[in-house]
This record gives sequence, C-alpha cells and structure tokens, in this order.
Amino acid sequence: MHNEDKSKLFGKWLDNDLNQFERTEFEQLCAQDKAFAEKVESANQMMMAAESYQPESVPNWDRVGTFEQAPRQGWWNWHGLPALSFATSFLAIVMVVSGFEVRTDDGAMTISFAQAQDPKKIELLVDQKLNEYQQNQQQALNLFAQTMQQQQLDASTKLTQYLLSSSRQERREDFAELIKFVNEQRSDDQLFYARQLNKLQDDIYGSVDSATWPAASADDPIENEE
Amino acid sequence: MFDKSDEQLIAKALDGNKKAWLNLIKRYEKPIYNYGIRMTGNNDDALDLMQEVFVSVFRNLSNYRGDGAFKGWLFKIAHYRCIEFYRRKRPTQGLEDSPELESGEDGPEQATLTGQGNAQLVGAMQQLPFAQKAVVELKFFGQFTFEEIADQLGISTNTAKSRLYSALDKLKTLMEVEYA
Repeated sequence: MHNEDKSKLFGKWLDNDLNQFERTEFEQLCAQDKAFAEKVESANQMMMAAESYQPESVPNWDRVGTFEQAPRQGWWNWHGLPALSFATSFLAIVMVVSGFEVRTDDGAMTISFAQAQDPKKIELLVDQKLNEYQQNQQQALNLFAQTMQQQQLDASTKLTQYLLSSSRQERREDFAELIKFVNEQRSDDQLFYARQLNKLQDDIYGSVDSATWPAASADDPIENEE
Repeated sequence: MFDKSDEQLIAKALDGNKKAWLNLIKRYEKPIYNYGIRMTGNNDDALDLMQEVFVSVFRNLSNYRGDGAFKGWLFKIAHYRCIEFYRRKRPTQGLEDSPELESGEDGPEQATLTGQGNAQLVGAMQQLPFAQKAVVELKFFGQFTFEEIADQLGISTNTAKSRLYSALDKLKTLMEVEYA
C-alpha cells in the first residue's frame, strides 16, 4: 500500500469515518506495518495529550476595544435578498411560461414573451391590411382613369376646335378667291363685250361711212375710248 | 440553558449591541487564546494574536453568511491572522520550513504555562513547521474533520492528511525526547 493510501486510511480513522472494510484493512495494516502502527500510537498519544491539556485561563484584556463601532451591514448581506431573488426568478419563469404579453399600440409599448400568436388574429390582421391595400389601389386606379379621360377629352376638344377654325379659314379664303375670280371674269367679260360692241359699232359705222358718210367725227365715243 | 446561539449574538452585535459582542468574545476567547499559545508558544504573543483575531472578526462580522459553523469561520480568520503574525515574527522563514529555534526563546514564557504537560506539548509543537503545526492544532485541539481543516487552511483534504501524517513522525520523536 502506498504512503498516500496509508495517509488517507489514517485520516479516515482520525475522522472516525471508517467503514467495515476499511476498519479491517486498518487493523491489518496496524498488525503488519510497524511504521504505520507507530504512527497510530503517536496519534493516540497526541489525542491523550490534547485531552489532558489544561487550557490556560485568559488574562484580562481590552475586550471592549475590539468593539469599534457597529459595522454597517451592506445591502448585499440583507437576509431577505435570497428570498427576493427567488421570488423575482419565480415571477420571471411564470411570466415566460404563461406567455406574458403587454401591448399598447399607440404608445408603442410592447412586452412579449415568445408566446405563439393566435392564427385568427394574424389572419384578421392580414385581411385588414389587404383590404386597405386594395382600397388604396382602387382609388389610385380611379384617379388615374379620370385623369386620362380628362386629358383625352381636352385633347379632342382642342383638335376639333383647330379643325373647325382651320376649315372656316380655308373656305373663307376659297370664297374670296372665287369671288375675286368671278369679279375678274365679269370685268374681263364686260371689257370683251365692250370691245365687241365697239367693233360691231365700228363695223356698222364703217360700212355706212364708207358708203354714205364722210370721215368719222371727233365726237364718236368708241373712237375716243380707244 | 438560556444561552443565545452564535447567530443571535452576531445579529445583535451587528445592530450595535456591545453586550452581545462581549458575550460572543467570552464564549470563544479561551479556545482562541490557547490556540494562540500553541501556535506561537508564547503567552504575550497569544494575547496579541487573540486581540487581532477578534478585531478582525468584528470588522468582518457583516460578511459572515451563517452558511457554516461560526467556530470554523472564527478559526479560519485566526489562521490567517496567525500566518501574518508568524511572517512578521519570522519574515525569512517559509511556512513549511522547520523553525530555527533561538536560544532561550521558549524558556521564560513556557514556564508560565499550567503544568509540565502543557509546556512539553507546546514546546514539541513549536519545533514543527508552521503548516504542519496548524493541521495538528486543528485536528487534535480544534477537533475539526479533515474536510473542515482543508477548508479553513485553503488546501486539499489529502494535503491536510499528508501534513498530519508527516507531523506525527516528528512529534513522536519530539515527545519522546521531551518526556524522557
């Protein structure tokens, strides 16, 4: 047996903590190992010496001097601290297990402890959001259609006005041209007929003069006109 | 029969009750004083050590959590005070070194001890290294288990057993010489 094992066995004997097996081993060791037996004997002597030791009486000394002032007990030494700690831990566990939830939407205060959301609530929320989105989209689409319609109407009106005004102008110009042409034609016709009449007159008077009358007088209008 | 428990006295002392504190001192001053004698081998040093121990205990009283016996906590403080005391007295000597006895160091003081047996026992203990002496003191006089000793000295249980095992060899020789 190693010395370390012996000292452990010896220690257990001194602590009076030997079981039946160890006691047998201890007794065998005492019988077989002289050095170990001497150590046991020595321990016995020390125990006897300690028992027979007469404690010295304490002389008078300044006991009061050790009482300086009441030591201030720190808050961490407060006796209720373990109980408080336990209570807060228990409360925290209960809050987590029970799915503690505080929700204030406008004040934006949300405390939750990972409890699964109610599917109906989620469905309702999603439906609500979708409806809002749909309404917004519908409004935007209506506005867009109205705007497009208005723009198209404006464009059509402008085009019609332009066409009307431009055709009136052209007709006015055409009529003016026509009237001018007619007037010019009439003027030409008058001139033509005047010349024809003069020529006819000349022909008539010429044939007469040549037959009966002398040379034409200065009062002849046709001659003067030429 | 109507003695208050250590915890009750401590609670009252923490509230500033001087009488409770003095009662607590009276309850433990004798074991501490005799512990000092056996550890220092000197009555005057033991008295100084006892005073330092109780001053230290009072200052740290608010840190006592009551999760173990007050006696164990008290002796733990006494041990650390004793180490400081020992280092002041013998600054060049290690705790596990065998003491170098000066001539006549133990003579006059030990003569004041009650009885020859006490003087011989204390004289033999003074020749042990401090580390072994502390284990012997706590085991045979303090009646602590090795687990409690290990806790008080800040060592393992096996180290405590091993120290006592080694100390007994030396004590046997010393006691034989002393009693011879």
